[in-house]
Amino acid sequence: MIRVGVIGLGRVGMLHLMNSLKIKGASVVAAADASKSALAKARSLGVKRLFEDYRKLLNSSSDMDAVIISLPNYLHFESVKLALEEGFNVFVEKPLALTLEESGEIVKLVRESGRKLMVGHCLRFLEVIRKMKESLDKGVIGRLEVATLEEVINGPFAHPRTPTPVSEWWFDPRKSGGGALFDIGYHMIDLFRFFAGDADVVFASLDYKFNLPVEDGAILILRSKEGSVKGIINVGWYQQTIFPRYNFRVILHGNAGFLSSDHLVPHNLYLHAAKEGFKNLLRKVAGRRIRYLSYTYYYEPFYQELEHFFNCIKKDLDPMVSVEDGLKTVELIRQAYTLADNNSCKE
Amino acid sequence: MENVVALVRTCDLMEEIRDFVFESLKLIDFKPSGRVGSVVIKPNLCYYWDADTGYTTDTRVVAGIIDWVRENCGDVDIKIVEADASAMRTKLAFKVLGYENLAKEKDVELFNLSEDVLVDRAVKVNGREISFKVPKILLESDLFINVPKLKVMKIVKITCAMKNLFGCIGTPRKVVYHKFLNEAIVGINKVLRPHLTVVDGIVALGRHPIKLGLLIAGTSPFAVDWVASQIMGYNPSSIKFLEIARREGLGKPENMIVKGEEISEFAKIFPKEGIISTGSLWTLQFWFLKTYQRLVGDVIPSILEE
Repeated sequence: MIRVGVIGLGRVGMLHLMNSLKIKGASVVAAADASKSALAKARSLGVKRLFEDYRKLLNSSSDMDAVIISLPNYLHFESVKLALEEGFNVFVEKPLALTLEESGEIVKLVRESGRKLMVGHCLRFLEVIRKMKESLDKGVIGRLEVATLEEVINGPFAHPRTPTPVSEWWFDPRKSGGGALFDIGYHMIDLFRFFAGDADVVFASLDYKFNLPVEDGAILILRSKEGSVKGIINVGWYQQTIFPRYNFRVILHGNAGFLSSDHLVPHNLYLHAAKEGFKNLLRKVAGRRIRYLSYTYYYEPFYQELEHFFNCIKKDLDPMVSVEDGLKTVELIRQAYTLADNNSCKE
Repeated sequence: MENVVALVRTCDLMEEIRDFVFESLKLIDFKPSGRVGSVVIKPNLCYYWDADTGYTTDTRVVAGIIDWVRENCGDVDIKIVEADASAMRTKLAFKVLGYENLAKEKDVELFNLSEDVLVDRAVKVNGREISFKVPKILLESDLFINVPKLKVMKIVKITCAMKNLFGCIGTPRKVVYHKFLNEAIVGINKVLRPHLTVVDGIVALGRHPIKLGLLIAGTSPFAVDWVASQIMGYNPSSIKFLEIARREGLGKPENMIVKGEEISEFAKIFPKEGIISTGSLWTLQFWFLKTYQRLVGDVIPSILEE
């Protein structure tokens, strides 16, 4: 049994907690959050040990195997560092940390500690991305030439049916690390690396439509290290969309064909939800294990990434998303910010 | 007394929107009564969605009003005001929605109504006593200008002149009034009496945003809403808060005159809400999800919850 502590119970942290409770062979023994209502919800889900200060959780829970960290970005470094020093395996939501220096120090700590650390690059687990990667690796579209990746959504303004207040740390670059590029560009850069390998940023343009200290839109061009694959990234926080509307797509252009995520995702998410919900109902009636969150399509990876991480701990395997993947993504984002500041292209 | 409501067709150019604001006020022959020393302008800032989404008042309309005030009232103290809401923080909304830039450009002040001295006011509507915390500034200003957006709203069908005053309540958790929202809208309109209403319908919101290219001006929020509801495809008598307002003496439909463009010109292109509103669909979807969760034990991400 993997015994888990969940640190940070915001929207994503609470989802991690609920998923951990459903994963076979895992149990949530403790949770921490500054919000009393979040802790009350965790209690109602059966979590016994609750802390307002995550440091107390880390200092007093030697019976845990792993912690899941979903704190605001500026707390990633100190919480990950403390968790590794206390000897826990760590799953940390993206970004790995705010800066290259912090990320580098975490890489060093992971190597020294011998613990596992996985960063929540959840889109790698999305069904459509896995299918595209498989087809690419099989050579279905020949040699990859260009990948276009885009996600234009609400970012921190995302809300359920009723709007909710936005935490102000999002708009302080010292706390968030950046805006739309650091938030969702992070995923697109990671996906480019997933498809094309290591890369450099050769062009970066940032937008500030919201008059905030952080960018609300970014367009980047990347080039793979070996030089042949170009990536075009377009991300933004400026679009008013409420899930299940989700403006995300990847197109892989090869010399023998192309793959577009738009062709491979469910065209109608309501029908998809009905179909998957019905299948789960049948599984339940037949006494079989259900496929958690499959009805949402886009939230299923949150379950799968944790299941994968727990499996890596159990079987002593390397996680599919390494600490180095986190470091390299932060590195490319910092490259992009430098290029955008200099308002120039890299030769 | 007759209530004049003006409909003016606009285009999308900055300089011309100012002219359209002037034209709309000329059509209703608006003149402030008495000496004007202080002016408050209340746009509708809705969450952090900008004017092109159909949710928030276009800064260009407010800019035109500021110009009109300066030309007609001289160098007076002008404040653009808004109050915090359950989910929206005024300070951030002013920045994100371009009002901070407008204030700098026009040299006017931005003012958070939730930080003002709040005065207790109680009124009776439909036999129900309703109390509000009302920002003092709105009761004391010489010229109070209401600048709502033209849009549909799931609970009370339309949100325009009268509903925008509901946004003036100083306490952020206005959701407490939602169980009797029709009465609360009428109640706050009994307490707050703007001298002028200019509706931004340049981009309006129905089933989806639409470039309607319209400004509506009037001195009675009731009369403005009576006209606006027809543009949005409703029979005004079917709007409950308008009917209550009529009974409570806030306006009379028979005393209205519409000047400028025809209502039908805008009504025919406005994307009316379907028979099943987005809100009802969401409620239905949530009910299915909860039932599914009870039966199967699956996880529901909070983003899909109410």
